[in-house]
Amino acid sequence: MITATDLKLTFGKGTPLENPALRGMSLTVNQGEFVTVIGSNGAGKSTFLNALAGEVMVDSGKIIVDNQDVTKLPTYKRAGSVARVFQDPLAGTCEGLTIEENLSLAIKRGQRRGLSAAVKARYLDQFKTSLASLNLGLENRLGDKMGLLSGGQRQAVSLLMASLTPSAILLLDEHTAALDPKTAAFVLELTTQIIEEQKLTALMVTHSMKQALEVGQRTVMLHQGQVVFDIAGKDREGLEVKDLLELFEKQRGLEITDDSLLLG
Amino acid sequence: MLSNIAFYGAVETGLIYGLVAFGIYISFRVLDFPDLTVDGSFPLGAAVAAVLILEGVNPWLATGAAIIAGMGAGAVTALLNVKLNILNLLASILTMIALYSVNLRIMGRPNIALLTEETVLTPWYNLDLEYHQVPVLLFTIIVLAGLVLLWRFMKSETGLAMRATGANPRMARAQGIATGAMIVLGVALSNGLVGLAGALFAQSQGAADVTMGVGVIVIGLASLIGGEAVLTPSSVVRALIACVIGAIIYRLAIALALNADFLGLQAQDLNLITAVLVTLAIVLPGVRTSVAARLTRNKA
Repeated sequence: MITATDLKLTFGKGTPLENPALRGMSLTVNQGEFVTVIGSNGAGKSTFLNALAGEVMVDSGKIIVDNQDVTKLPTYKRAGSVARVFQDPLAGTCEGLTIEENLSLAIKRGQRRGLSAAVKARYLDQFKTSLASLNLGLENRLGDKMGLLSGGQRQAVSLLMASLTPSAILLLDEHTAALDPKTAAFVLELTTQIIEEQKLTALMVTHSMKQALEVGQRTVMLHQGQVVFDIAGKDREGLEVKDLLELFEKQRGLEITDDSLLLG
Repeated sequence: MLSNIAFYGAVETGLIYGLVAFGIYISFRVLDFPDLTVDGSFPLGAAVAAVLILEGVNPWLATGAAIIAGMGAGAVTALLNVKLNILNLLASILTMIALYSVNLRIMGRPNIALLTEETVLTPWYNLDLEYHQVPVLLFTIIVLAGLVLLWRFMKSETGLAMRATGANPRMARAQGIATGAMIVLGVALSNGLVGLAGALFAQSQGAADVTMGVGVIVIGLASLIGGEAVLTPSSVVRALIACVIGAIIYRLAIALALNADFLGLQAQDLNLITAVLVTLAIVLPGVRTSVAARLTRNKA
């Protein structure tokens, strides 16, 4: 479970480029819940995720992960409970390391690292089974360099790495946005499958309203650094993109002009 | 061609610079941290070892102290970068400059002669070997031990975390790796190796000199890049072997260039030759691939 309370964050404070990214953002994600997050450019989606992960520090507010106050902790100290998949398919893995080395890095996420061999024989069966579930033939390429894989394959492995060890929350930051439509559909399907099988708590940022309604159990819309609406259960069933837009206009008295949100 | 003595001398120095190249491999390649501290930590290692040997300390202990001193110097550079956010290159230049004074303070004078002192090499001269083969034997053992230890380390959990830190720091942090601590550890390790090289160099040459560090970074880089050009480093162990091969080839090339009378080169041309060799080592692999590409295109 993860609770964010009244998060505020302003970039470039006191400069002409001052930009309030989070203006009192509050959100609670319950155990086992899969929440999708939408919002136009500059709504604070990525900043919110970065704040949860510890990549940026909030000016005020509180972040509680599994009953632990992590507000002031750096990324690496939160990593044990926060797993991530980035938007850039190249960002989640190390291209100079082999597939098994990347997976061995991930299997120790948030744990002490010692001087014993990183790639252990007892990991290999687990790696092979997990990779086989991707149906990409990667289970036979454990010793290959990550850089030899395509963007889609690397994103699939990133997803696997994020789910290799238990976490309190899985953060997905538009992780299908940089892929071609077919690969994006594959990675999205893989995402829902992994989240369902392992009963993960997940927060998925997406640019596409359609995608946001199709997967997960709850949808949150951000606007100007705040939550403008939060729908789940019956209210969410059967909802379409145009309903979301109406909802947004009713809430804010605003019209959405961001094409990318409508087209997605 | 080369005389026997010149040949063994080149291999001996090459082995020492192989240790420097290991250090530069860790900073430049593994951590992507351009570190010039080595120009200061090389004479630091020499100074610490020389002073302790003069004090009557066991030469192996003195050499160990030189490693620790080098690690300290590396840690200072890394902390300037990690804690005070000073650009890595600048941080290393600051430490390097500071070490010049530190080295003078440690030695109390610009140079110390060790010719009559007992060094790590002394007992080895009792072996039934030619005089100039002895350092080659001992340094080969030390370099091989260093190679195996470093290889094992880079394959360990901590070593893998260090490699991830250099390759993709954002991903490393997301995996729970304290990237700042990894940089401190890596740069310290790197300069510890360079301190060891300095200590061995002083003992084999019979003197420590405050100016002996000038250009160590360039020679180390030349060895690293030259080795990579000869032996494409697709794995850690190949990269480490390339460091040693590169360093030995480099010293042999220098010895040959200086010995080839028809070129008319003399000792004072050393730095010019170094610069030319480094340039060639950087440019040649690219030329090779572009020529290969042109040839295959013509065939098609």
